[in-house]
This record gives sequence, structure tokens and C-alpha cells, in this order.
Amino acid sequence: MDPITFSIIRHRLYRVVEEAVITLKHVSGSAITNEGHDLMVSLYEADGTLLLGGVGFLHHLTSAAEACKSIIRRFEGDVHEGDLFLLNDPFTAALHTSDIYLVSPIHYKGELIAWSACFVHVYDIGAMNPGGFAPDAQDVFSEGFSSPGLKIVDRGNLRQDVWDTILNMVRGPEMVALDLRSMIACNNVAKDRMVALVEKYGLPTFQETCKSLVAQSESRLRERLRELPDGSWQSRQYFDVKGEVYKVLLKMTKVDDELTFDFTGSSPQSKYSVNCTKWASLGGLFAPLFPLLCYDITWNEGVIRPIKVIAPEGSIVNCTKPSPVSVATVGAIQSVNNAACTTIAKMLASHDKYADQTSAVWHANHFAVFMFGKNQKGGDSIGILTETFAGAGGARTFADGVDIGGEIPNPISRMANVETVEAMFPVRYLFRRRLKDSGGGGEFRGGTGGELALIPHDAPDGGLNYVLSGKGSKFPQSEGLDGGNPGAINDYVWVHSEDSKDGHDCFSQSLSAIPGEKESISWGVFPLMGNDALYVRWNGGGGVGDSLDRIPGAVLTDVTNSLISPEAAREIYGVVITDNQVDEVKTEELRNSLRSERINKKVEQK
Amino acid sequence: MKTAKSYLVATDVGGTCTDTVVFTVGEPVILGKALSTPPDFATGVLDSIKSAADQMGITVSELLANTSLFVHGSTVVDNAILTRDGAKVGLLTTEGFEDTLLVTRGGYGRWAGLTEERMKNMVKTDRAKPLVERNLIHGVPERTDYKGSIIRELDESSARESIKKLIDDGVDAIAISYLWSFYNQKNEIRTQEIIKEINPQIYTSISSNIAPTPGEYERTSTTVINAYAGEIARQYIENLAELMKNNGYLGPVMIMQGYGGLLLASEASDRAIGMLECGPAAGVIGSKALGDLLNQKDVIATDMGGTTFKVSVIQGGQIEYAREPMIDRFHYTQPKIEVVSIGAGGGSIVWIEEETKIPRVGPRSAGSRPGPVCYGMGGEEPTLTDVFMLIGYMDPNIFLGGSMNLDKEAARKVFDAKIAKPLGLSVEEAAYGIFRIATAQITDLIREITVERGLDPRDFVMHAFGGSCGMVSATFGAELGVKKIVIPYTAAVNCAFGLISADIVHEYSVVKTLQMPSPLSEFPPLFEPMREKALKTLAAEGFTGDQVVLDWSVDLRYSRQVHEVTTPLKAPLPLTSDGLEILSRDFESLYERKYGKGSAFREAGIEMTQFRLTARGLLNHPDMSAAKTVGEDSSAALTGRRKIFVEAKSAMIESDIYDFTLLNPGNVIKGPAVIHTPITTIVLQDNQKSVMDQYRNIIIELG
Repeated sequence: MDPITFSIIRHRLYRVVEEAVITLKHVSGSAITNEGHDLMVSLYEADGTLLLGGVGFLHHLTSAAEACKSIIRRFEGDVHEGDLFLLNDPFTAALHTSDIYLVSPIHYKGELIAWSACFVHVYDIGAMNPGGFAPDAQDVFSEGFSSPGLKIVDRGNLRQDVWDTILNMVRGPEMVALDLRSMIACNNVAKDRMVALVEKYGLPTFQETCKSLVAQSESRLRERLRELPDGSWQSRQYFDVKGEVYKVLLKMTKVDDELTFDFTGSSPQSKYSVNCTKWASLGGLFAPLFPLLCYDITWNEGVIRPIKVIAPEGSIVNCTKPSPVSVATVGAIQSVNNAACTTIAKMLASHDKYADQTSAVWHANHFAVFMFGKNQKGGDSIGILTETFAGAGGARTFADGVDIGGEIPNPISRMANVETVEAMFPVRYLFRRRLKDSGGGGEFRGGTGGELALIPHDAPDGGLNYVLSGKGSKFPQSEGLDGGNPGAINDYVWVHSEDSKDGHDCFSQSLSAIPGEKESISWGVFPLMGNDALYVRWNGGGGVGDSLDRIPGAVLTDVTNSLISPEAAREIYGVVITDNQVDEVKTEELRNSLRSERINKKVEQK
Repeated sequence: MKTAKSYLVATDVGGTCTDTVVFTVGEPVILGKALSTPPDFATGVLDSIKSAADQMGITVSELLANTSLFVHGSTVVDNAILTRDGAKVGLLTTEGFEDTLLVTRGGYGRWAGLTEERMKNMVKTDRAKPLVERNLIHGVPERTDYKGSIIRELDESSARESIKKLIDDGVDAIAISYLWSFYNQKNEIRTQEIIKEINPQIYTSISSNIAPTPGEYERTSTTVINAYAGEIARQYIENLAELMKNNGYLGPVMIMQGYGGLLLASEASDRAIGMLECGPAAGVIGSKALGDLLNQKDVIATDMGGTTFKVSVIQGGQIEYAREPMIDRFHYTQPKIEVVSIGAGGGSIVWIEEETKIPRVGPRSAGSRPGPVCYGMGGEEPTLTDVFMLIGYMDPNIFLGGSMNLDKEAARKVFDAKIAKPLGLSVEEAAYGIFRIATAQITDLIREITVERGLDPRDFVMHAFGGSCGMVSATFGAELGVKKIVIPYTAAVNCAFGLISADIVHEYSVVKTLQMPSPLSEFPPLFEPMREKALKTLAAEGFTGDQVVLDWSVDLRYSRQVHEVTTPLKAPLPLTSDGLEILSRDFESLYERKYGKGSAFREAGIEMTQFRLTARGLLNHPDMSAAKTVGEDSSAALTGRRKIFVEAKSAMIESDIYDFTLLNPGNVIKGPAVIHTPITTIVLQDNQKSVMDQYRNIIIELG
């Protein structure tokens, strides 16, 4: 294949995805799509082979590929130019019902040559709770409308009956209509650009390039795997929902140029909606694999081929219908992310050439808070606190993690400004800042998470309610590497006060200073009414290396910058600070005594 | 010496060169060029003016004594940020939000400004080192709410304590940025007063003055940048005024702003942020002026220099503004003309990606030192310029008017070893391929800012500025299908040319959310104070009556969406309900044009969010004098023939070579051909026809 034409077509394919993403954001205009970048666009070959995955929410690259393949099977003989299909059934291909896939065949001179697919998290899907996450759903039937494949545009004509039916099942139908419209526009752009590309270079050249692109990714990943040593690496992730503890156990084995991810030993499926279907687990596994192992390789089917996955049926990583799954995307899928991140990082760290491509776990636990109710303008609002798209970076083998730096599965997310939230919802922030001591200790510190507190402000109904799917406030999930500590855990506190004093006067600067009774919460629907406050703190990233090896000057800087407390400097890092200076002698003494304490510490055997 | 004239002198200080344009009615435009001399830019400025004066046969003081207006643009503020050479800044924020600047809305500051390739390798991404250290950020007890009501009075004693601590810690400048201050700046103003009381020497910037727009992260970042470079800008401008005065100039000194207008030096010196990227902005203004002159309303302005290819769009005579501007990797909200760039210039290095064996162009550049291999100054990596040499576009003997000879053999040897051989291609085949990759990347970039915004390049004229643009524009222009390509006479000093085309411009805005329609009584309290302020300022600068133009506009959006569109207010003030209707309609058509058909969201209603006034003081721009056209015959300028790469034929074809300086208006040249100007080279592809117009621009007709 002519390398010049190959290079040009590859570049053009990237541009096709980028243009389609811009269209999606422009037309949607919603905060979760525009700020959170909770979206994805990708291109597929005629048989559903993933050709190019864009930089969006990476959980979806493999799932949307399955959605394409599933549509191809289901609609065999009934796929026409100008058709558009909808799919959101988690047991067919999707992650949960509120992430809707729109899948579009691309024809050239009457021949099916490719597919495009995209998703956004729609405003509402008609689940039992507003916004799509339904913590207390008992089964998938309470989680809103779901379809294993539905033709919504037939040869260029919108099927009004189908359209009206979908919008009849959701809250805020005009907002959902807009989400759907943005996805239609996005697919149209992808289609137009692909056709123009084929027009210019000819179908045979285009198809040959697609084949080479996939083959090239496969051979490059296999080559990389062959460079790395054979072996097995493990990770164990725990999380809890309402006092029940779940485990995701992952053993990754590398032999020659293949990788096997085995989840045998993970917990049975849950009665809560944190379960993953096998498609969600697959997506959760690949989301970190793309940027960690294939940071310089085109993300397509070639990367998927050398990978095998074993996920026992009936487990929390491969649940059976009708298990509830609406919280999957911030539920078990994250434990899959975290475990995959850790096992891949351990493998990379075992080779000198890749040691500096290694990272401890980032943002191990989302804190999905969907607020809903009357806003200060008198209209209805549903929306997620976008801080959850601003997790903590894991430490690297050469640098600290990025404080409130994002997350691996969604490389280019961001959070909204405080002023944006206060303009859209009847709430006021008391504070929003980095959370001291939240980054996992290590020679390289995990990035810090954050903390925020909200109170009602100018709410016509006296406040709002919110859906909280805050599993996992018991166990740290941001694993460290090479002796690094995990990051701190999430925490959610409902402060309620019977005192009728106007909440307007509250300017407290810490949780303890907010007046009222403090109740830890994590799961369900709660009020933010009257004098209530909601306090959220979110997890830090994992550390890398032994915290007693951290350069004392870096510990001092962290103390000066309020990122760690003087106590943590002493207890975790063994650094003694006197008069804003590191006391070298006392630090050496303290570190030595902490080391011997460790050696002499008895480990209890169970 | 000539008789006293009223010259217009414009000097643009760029990264590599300082360009000068001297203009007066009835005489040819004089172009001057010299190397920039950072950190003391004064030498370069004088050298550049001298190079123009030399051509006129007069001294610098003679030129400046006869100059009525001196206009200036400079990269000094960009430089201060890029080289981290600014002040030690302290920051005061609303208590509870001390980290806002540092956490950059989460990952935003970590990935923004990176190429997709770099974004994908997340483990290697970090934020830029901030311009303020955390220990120099203090939270102050105070709070304003989303309506602009102060719900917590400023705690003055606490503010005072923080300020004293910052001064003890050695800050030179303090930025103040409180939540919602753009609705109510009382607390920021009072804090600034307290700083002045404690130490009037400290440079201060407050967010409600520097960037009065919603979004505390971007507003704070803008204010901090301004504080960081504020003193440098102030001193630079003062020194410049002094330098001009000492060299005999008595008129006003005007400073270019990133939004494309000029400010008097005295006013510009308080707003360092305004000078960011003012050079490229001037370039767009220049393109617009040229478009106006040639009656072209829809223009794609391109500029290819040594390291980057820049492009911007003028549509219906309107310039596009950037949505999320950045300097280095810091966000700011100052209105800025949208100029998009990629790392593809003459100096861009051609290389082969080791893992995939795919040839790539840029973004790394060999710059001017060591430069391309053919410069013979030690460059060992092949560049685009070397490719241009190998495919016959450059003449080794007449580069830069013959002042420098190029080593074609060295270029061939290096290119063969590093590119052609590894690809298994001949030198020619590989060179054709690289040329095609570069033009494809440029085509894609231009598509990005046209097609993706619903604009069809076929409706546009393209302007090709910069030293390297003339060699590739015929190729990508044809691929995009633009109507015609203009390679302006001033192509090599575009930004300086833009400076003499600009007007004095003051920007004002008020943020307030109103539903459409709103009671008409809501509007005068928004518009009138802006009008009053603008007229007063312009009058003080000597502009009244016809010299004053007030352009009103309103930002609108569909309720519950995030995209605002600044819509010109065409109806007269005071607004009537008909006027509001026109505004609504214009917004809707602009929105669909920008975001594509079907993107409108009428069901949710329309909101107005910001009200703007652009107040212009019109300067006298002397008319460009048109020369007489002579016949089409260009044979007098034909200097020889040589083989050049012809894209459509994929081969080197014997072609005509012309000398630009011997061409006359009206002369026609048919491609394939090369026209050498003293500074650059213009290539015509097969079947293309060009004509030199009355202003000595080369026009390639395509459509």
C-alpha cells in the first residue's frame, strides 16, 4: 500500500471523527455532553469491525462495535441507504439504558461500505429516577425504555411513530429530542465525510487502507506484547453498596503476543444496579487498555484481537437478565477499569522501555449526583454534578498524579464552573477545592481529589432532590503501585437542621463548621431542602513507590500548598518540618524508626 | 530629502522578524524588514524602520518627523508568558475557591491545547506550571450570588491581612477575582483600594475590569495573565513611546489588540492581555482590508511562515472570533480574532515514524537556526523547504533576492538517506509524496474552520500570505475549490500591513440574562451607560461625529443550551419590539449557519446573555493607489525555464520562470510556472492562469 495515500486517508479518518464530535456537541448543547465529554463517535467497516475509535468515553468503543454487529445480524436484508438504528439494551450491547447508541450504515453508490456510531448520555430515559441512574431499581425493567435494535430513520425518513413513542416515555422530552437530534446530525456528518473520502480515493484504495489500518494496529500491539515479559499480574477491587461488599478479581496473563483477562472469582451479581453486563465489562477493560498500552497505536479492532476475556456468567461482571444495571457505568465497570489499569501498569513497569508509561489508578470511583427539581426560573432541571468528571490523576513512575486531573477512560473531560452550576440550579457552593491528604502517599504522590458543599439558594420549592449512586465509601479503590498507597475514599454527608434559620447565612468553610446534624449517605434519593447541605468529597489517585522515599522537599511543598497535613508529612512520609523547613536529621531518624517499625510489625494470619 | 509628507508607519514585532510598512497617498508602499532583537525589541524596531527609510533615501528621523501616525504590534506579552518572565503574582479569590485557577476545571487544563496524539498518551500529560503559586493565593471572606446581590460583605480586615502577607512574601502584582464579580464589582474595587492604601506600587488587576464575563476559572486565569505581564507591557509601551519621541516622532503611538483594533498607548498599557496574539490579528485585519479593496467579502486568509501555517475566515466582511482562546496552555477570555494554526511551515521537519514507517511533516521545526539542510547552516534534518527545493520550486541562486545561495545537493543527499530510501522510493517520488502530505494537512485544517462551521470553501476567495504560502496555495486552493487565490504584494509583511488598516476600537460589554422577548424598558439601562462611556473616551481621543461608529451586538442562546452566538444588532436604538424580532431572527439564522441545519432548539425559547458595544474611532486610511494596467504580455519578465513538479501530472515538467519585479499590472502568466519575488516564490499549477492586478497582487483564477 502506498504509504503517502495511507497517511492521508488515516489523517482524514481522524478528521471525520473529530468533525462528527464537534457536530454532536454543537447540536446537543447539554452540559454532560459539552463539559463532561460524556460522548463517543467511532467508525466501523462494513462488517462492524472497529475501524477508528475517537477520543470520547472509551468504555463505549467495543460496545458500540457490538451494537453495529448486532444491528447487522438483526436487520439482515433490511439495511438501506439512509437508515438509522437505535440500540440501548444492556444485554444486547449497551452499558446501560441511558447511553443510547445511534448506528448508521454508510453506503457508496448503493453498496454498504462502513458504519458510524455515536452515543450521548440522554437527559432522561424514563427510569424510576430522573436522569437514568436508578439506585433502587430491582431489575432492568425499572430502568426505563430499552431496545435491542430499532429503526428510527427509514431511508432518510424519520419514523414519527417511533420518535413520538420514545419521547412519550421520558421526562423532559424536548431535551431528549435534542440529544437524539444531535446524534442524527453527528452520524450525517460522518456519513457525508466518509462518502467524500471514498469519492476522492476510490473504494478499493479506501478498503485497502481500512484493512491495513486494522492490521497495523494488531501487529504493533502484538510486537509490543512480545517485547514485554510473559507472566501473570493480579488486582483485587472491593466496593460496597448499603453495607454489602463486592469484589472484582482480575488475573491478567501474558503469553507471547496475547493477553488474557480472567475475572474468575469475582462476586456474584448484585441485587443493586451496579452490575455490568458482559459488554460493559469488556468496555471497562478496554477503556484503560487503549490509552495505557496503545497510546501511540490507532484504536481499532486490531487492538482487540490479541485480547481474550473470561467473565463468569452470573457474576457482577457478567450479570444475567433481568439484573438491574443502570449504575453500571459508575458501578462495577470502574472496578474493572481500576483492576485493568493496575495489571497493565504492573506489566509495563516490568520493562525498562515502558516503565515511564506506567500509572497508578486514576479517579477510581465516580460520585454520580443527579439533581432534579424546580430551578430558580421556575422550570424543571435535571443534571449531574460535573465534578465527577474531574477525578484525581494516579501517580506516575516519574511524577506525581495530576490533582483533580480527570480520568483514564474519558481522556478529555472537564467540569463546569461554579458560576455555571449556580446559574442553572437553585444552589450555592460553600466551597470547592482540592482535598487535603486525599492523594495516595508514595515516592510519587497520587493526585488529590476534591471536596465541595452545596446549600439551596433561591429555590422556588425550597430546594431540590438528588439521586445518589455513591457506592464504595468504605474501601479505597485508587490502587497504588510499587508500594504506593491508595488514594482516599469518597464520602457523602447530608447535613440536616431543623433550625429555621435562613440557609443564606451559611458560609462555613469545612464540613464540621456547617451547622446541623451530619448523616453519612451513599445510595438513594435525598433532599437538599431548607437548611440542608450536601457535602461530597471525592477520591484521590494512587501513589507510586514507598512514601518514605519521597524527596523531603517535595513533602514540604505539599504541606505549604495545603495538599497534605503536617501530620501526614510525619506519619506517612516520615518528614519532620520545623519553622517551614525540613529538619534533615530528625527526618532521617523518623524514617529509620518507621522502617524498623514496619519490619517488626506482626502480620496477622487468618 | 523629500518634502514634508504625512506618512503612516506601522511596525510589527514578530518572533523572527520585525516588519515595517510605510504608506502615503500617491507613492508606492514601502516594505521594511529586520531581525527581531528580544529581549530589547527597540533595536529591531529601529532597524526595521531604517530598512524602509533607506529605500526612500531618507533617515529614520526624517521619516518619523514626517509621520502623522505610528502603529505598533508586538509579541512582547506572548513572550513574557512563553518564557515565564513575568511578575511574581499574588491572587485574592472568594474564600472557599482558592484552588479554582490551579485545578483548571479538572482535566481541561491538562489536555487543552494538545494535539490528539498527545492527548491519547494520558500518562504523559500534565498541566502547565501555573503563573501563581498556591501559597500566594488567599481566599477572602466575601460572596456575591448569581443575581449579583452581595450576600456576604467583604471582610476588610481579613483582606488587609492577606494583602500584607502577600507583600511580605514579595509579590510585585496582585490579581483579584471574586465569584460573580462581573455582575457586581463592588467587593473587587474595594479590595483594590485597600491594596493602593497599603502599597500603591503594587500592580493590580481586577477580574470585573479585565474580563467581565461569566465562568470564574477563565476569568481568573485572564486576570492572572494580565497581572503577570502587566508591568512588562506598561514599561514596553512607555519605552516605545520614548524611543519614537527621541527619534523625532511627535504624533500618537497606537498599539494593536488581539481583537483587531488599536488603542492609544496610554490606554493599552493597562491591559497587557489585550496585546496577546495581536500580530496574527493584525494579519487578519490586513486580509480584510485587502478584501474590502478588491471587493471580496468572503475570504479564507492563510499565512505560511517558517514554523506554522495559520488560517482564519472572513465571512460577509465579518471577522470570526475565538471561542476558547489560550496562550501557551493558559485559557483567557479576552475577545480575540480566531486564527487556527498547525505546525506546518517551510522549516517543518520531515520524518518517518519509526513504528509505522509512515512519513510525517512537523510539528517540529528547524526554525531559522540551523534551518533547512539547503541553507547550509548545519541543518541535518530534511524540511519542507528542502522538499520545495528538490521539486524545483526554489531557485538555489536567487533565494532572498540573491543574498543567499542554497545547497541543493546537500538537501538531496539528506532527503534520500533519511526519507526516500527508508520508504523505498526515488528522491522525486518521495518528495512529491511529502508535498502531498503537507498540502493534505493544510487542506484538512482549512476544512476544519470552514466546512465544519457550515461554510463552503467554494464560496470563498483565498489570500495567501507568508514566505512559503505561494508555493503550496495553488495546490490546496484548487483542492478546496476556492474561487480564486490572491498572493498579495504585501504577502511577506502581512501583519504590518494589517496595522495600517486598523481603527481605534474600544470594546464594552454588560452581562445580564434576559428572556426573549423582554420588556423594552430593560434595554436602555444596559445600552446607555456603555454609549456614554464610549463617546466620552473617543471624544477625549479626538474622535467625534462621523469619525465615530458604534456597533451593537447581543449574545443569544437557546435556553438550556451552552452555545452562545454574538449577533449584530441591526435595528436602531432605542429597541422596539420589531427590533427585538429582527435580532431573534438574525440569531437563529447565524446559529444554524454556525452549528448546522437542524441544530436550532426553538422549543426551549431564546435568552439574551450579554450586551456588547464595539466603539470605533475611524482613522484616515489613505487609499491604495491603483497603477495603470498594461497588456497581458508577460514575456518581458520571463527569465528562463526549468523543471518543476506538476501535481496533476505527478512529474517534473519543464516550465516558465518569471521575475516578479519585471511584471506589470495586467500581465498574464499561464501555469505551470514559477514567479520569483525578492522575498518569496509563487507556483502556478498546470492549467492555472494568473494575472497581476493594479495593486501588484498576483491573482490566480480557479472558479
